[in-house]
Amino acid sequence: MYLPTRLTRSTDLGLLADEDLMARVYAGDTRAFAVVFDRHAAVAFSLAYRMCGRRALAEEVVQEAFLSLWRSGARYERARGSVRSWVLAVVHHRAIDVLRHESARAGRDIHDEELGASLPAEERTDLEVERRSDARLVRNALDELPADQRKVIELAYFSGFSHSEIAELLGIPAGTVKGRMRLGMGKLRLALGDSVDVLL
Amino acid sequence: MAEHDCGNEAAAYALGALEPAEAEAFALHMESCAVCRDEVAAFALVVDALPLAAPQHEIPRALRRRVMAQARAQPPPHAAATAPRWAWRGLAAAPRGAMAAFAVALAALALVGGIELSKGGTPTRVIKASIGAAELDISGGHGQLIVQKLPPPAQGRIYELWLQHGSSSPLPSTLFSVNSHGTADVGVPGDLHGVSRILVTDEPAGGSATPTGKTLIVAMLS
Repeated sequence: MYLPTRLTRSTDLGLLADEDLMARVYAGDTRAFAVVFDRHAAVAFSLAYRMCGRRALAEEVVQEAFLSLWRSGARYERARGSVRSWVLAVVHHRAIDVLRHESARAGRDIHDEELGASLPAEERTDLEVERRSDARLVRNALDELPADQRKVIELAYFSGFSHSEIAELLGIPAGTVKGRMRLGMGKLRLALGDSVDVLL
Repeated sequence: MAEHDCGNEAAAYALGALEPAEAEAFALHMESCAVCRDEVAAFALVVDALPLAAPQHEIPRALRRRVMAQARAQPPPHAAATAPRWAWRGLAAAPRGAMAAFAVALAALALVGGIELSKGGTPTRVIKASIGAAELDISGGHGQLIVQKLPPPAQGRIYELWLQHGSSSPLPSTLFSVNSHGTADVGVPGDLHGVSRILVTDEPAGGSATPTGKTLIVAMLS
């Protein structure tokens, strides 16, 4: 495996693409891993927090996802070419497991009050500014959807409900749920346009 | 898109909202339906963007400290060893039932009509694929697996490639997905010296330490 030797400082590593960093992560380079973490942990944590609704659970999910990336090295989803997609898919998958586990214990909460509170802001980096700008774009696109379409998409993606469960929750036929999902996702695809390929 | 009517499964599939049996049936359907494959690929891009719709927060500093401390305390074993010892430990701890199920899955696959792809003179190996098609090109001890007509893995799933030496348990190698046309070009990491079989299974996102899902492709190397 080829590892450029001149790039040794963390600031230099910050210039590398994720795929190049992952070659170093595979070789056990903690500085490269730190750069990958700093690039993607915020959106991963935000997703986990939105899904789990509790900070401690969200931190646990994100920690497991990144340590899985660390242990498995280059075994992320290369074909899609995105470390971010791999990490977020693992976070999403594990958060759904947590939701189902919590649901079995105390019922699934889809309106967690904690979500209204923002965590303390830290120093805003360029990456952070870009992430928040991208987030506004996606959030606005979702907000523009008719409420019934937005609802089924959020229940499926952020709360991990199946279409049958959503149908039962909302008291509508399962076919209607899937129809709304299709309409809403189609509109989101149009609203986001080519930008979905370059977000983050 | 509007004229196509295979039901409204594509969006629900991309969102991971189909029931497991429905998702499996739809994945099979996509194998022969380019419209649905394209629709799912388009929706998958939206799904990738959806995490940004969540309220955005900073990384908790304590979380960063914990993750980095654990990473420093537990370097990935493959970083220092010549052999992937972590995989052997995982296999040693694997439930006997899981390995037995895997052996049964392999035996079942052997009964499936295999697809033989030999291009006179090129080092392409015999491949058996229970779904789609595949070929393996070997050059200088390194392999490149090319798969075709393989449906995208279901939401929360991923394809995992395994290397098997002789009759020993398969070792995890790499993870991959396919594009909207069901194709992927997967470089097999490392040297194939001593490898007798390359396998592809369907696994949970993040991969598994031992095969747990359906075996889809088997390449015999010796």
